[in-house]
Amino acid sequence: MAFDPSKSWDTYPDIEITLNVNGKNYKVKVKPYERLIDVLRYKLGFTGVKEGCGRGECGACVVLMDGELVPSCLVLAVRANGKKIITVEGLAPEGKLHAVQKAFLDTFAVQCGFCFPGFAIAIKHLLDKNPNPSEEEIKEALSGNLCRCGSYYRLIKAAKLASEYVRQGKIYFDVKR
Amino acid sequence: MSTIFIHRFDVVQPSSLEEALKILAEEGESVTPMAGGTDVMILIRDGVIKVKKILDLWPLRSQLSYIKREDGYVKIGALTTVTELEKSWLVNDKRYAGFRDVIIGFATPYLRSLATVGGNIGTGHPLSDIGVLLLTLDAEVVLLSADGERIVPLKEFYLGKRKINRKPNELITEVRFKEAPGNSSTAFIKFDRRRGHSMGYVLVAAYLALKGNVIEDVKIAFDSIGRPYPERAVKTESFLKGKEFSLENIRKAYNEVLPTEMSRISDYRASAEYRLDLSKVLMKRALLRAKERIESR
Ligand SMILES: Cc1cc2nc3c(=O)[nH]c(=O)nc-3n(C[C@H](O)[C@H](O)[C@H](O)COP(=O)(O)OP(=O)(O)OC[C@H]3O[C@@H](n4cnc5c(N)ncnc54)[C@H](O)[C@@H]3O)c2cc1C
Ligand code: FES
Ligand code: FES
Repeated sequence: MAFDPSKSWDTYPDIEITLNVNGKNYKVKVKPYERLIDVLRYKLGFTGVKEGCGRGECGACVVLMDGELVPSCLVLAVRANGKKIITVEGLAPEGKLHAVQKAFLDTFAVQCGFCFPGFAIAIKHLLDKNPNPSEEEIKEALSGNLCRCGSYYRLIKAAKLASEYVRQGKIYFDVKR
Repeated sequence: MSTIFIHRFDVVQPSSLEEALKILAEEGESVTPMAGGTDVMILIRDGVIKVKKILDLWPLRSQLSYIKREDGYVKIGALTTVTELEKSWLVNDKRYAGFRDVIIGFATPYLRSLATVGGNIGTGHPLSDIGVLLLTLDAEVVLLSADGERIVPLKEFYLGKRKINRKPNELITEVRFKEAPGNSSTAFIKFDRRRGHSMGYVLVAAYLALKGNVIEDVKIAFDSIGRPYPERAVKTESFLKGKEFSLENIRKAYNEVLPTEMSRISDYRASAEYRLDLSKVLMKRALLRAKERIESR
């Protein structure tokens, strides 16, 4: 159920902000203390954004904000007003898979999958800047993303495969059913 | 359900520096400035601090994010992020190569786009990579309030554990240091079990200026000398100054002089003995790295 501030004892003001998430504009009322991750998950339903630690240490919550990689657990929602946000849900159009997602499936990179949205966004951020990264550059770019299942070997393999797809111009793939 | 904070708080977003200063002048201690928030957000989350109102400095980024040379100084705007440092000319200037060391080991890639230079010294925390390096460049902190400007040498800026020389109505607007001479360079080393994503057991930064093989000038800073904030090892520095740059002299400096001015703490991460030992070795490595940089053309 959506949070209804009018029924709350909370006297902090509601601030109306506009977020562009995955290409669509949303007007949403937020509290001053709300974090971007809370608004994305609980007010807009982008539950692909995961909270691993809530303190900038795990990378599960990273999103692109105006093209920059940021931990949504440390950004106040009011600060994202007017910004363009990309979450894992917005990597590919409806019914398609992004090269990063396809590469993850092809390499069986994840186990539980909790870390995947963060890794996917971090890899996209890397490939947007550098479509031909070395293994060192991949490791550096993903150094802040933790995988509790320890799937790092395959995650790096997936990042390499994704970069190959991107270099071949294969950005979107059809979902096989 | 949509907050994890025990203590809730208000936020004010100023549209200009003047407005921000006005808010601080009127409300002073009841507002907490927030730059990147990578420190403040966590202190709030952990309940270490209770804030009434956050003064969001991010809207001032267009004014306070810059790296420029002016009047013989390198001036860095307080809201310059680590990512911006990384993209700037500063890291390609061999005199300031210490910044390269800082950036490579700084937190994680996604925190670097939030963490600011002003925030780094604003934490007043000993494990502040940028602060430790800036000490060796004799940096000054520019503070601005509705009453005017105040300039404080960085070495007088740290007052205690998480205590800084800032009045409640002031903002840190800039950090600056005099351009270093061509025969000098800097290096920074943070030692931990892994390369990235670490706090470091010991942090050391060195500034070195050589005339031939003679140490014309040297500045060495650590995360702590004894007090819980970054400081310079001034006795060790003055021992080395004017001497020949040799392993023997450096060894004398860290074996005979450094221990007289440094007292380390033991905690669950490392013992005092180990920290002192590390301090010696890392000081040597930082000086050697700075020398190597001076000599590379
Ligand atoms: C996971 C993690 C890893 C980290 N790794 C490192 C690391 O490797 N090295 C390191 O040095 N630090 C590290 N930090 C600490 C922190 O990220 C840095 O100190 C950072 O530079 C703080 O900058 P900020 O802009 O986010 O500060 P904020 O959190 O916004 O502010 C810090 C303090 O300074 C004050 N302040 C900030 N800007 C101003 C201003 N302009 N005027 C007046 N007061 C101001 C605030 O009120 C607050 O008290 C890490 C933190 C986390 C969470
Ligand atoms: S939840 Fe944001 S970094 Fe872990
Ligand atoms: S696959 Fe489980 S955390 Fe990475």
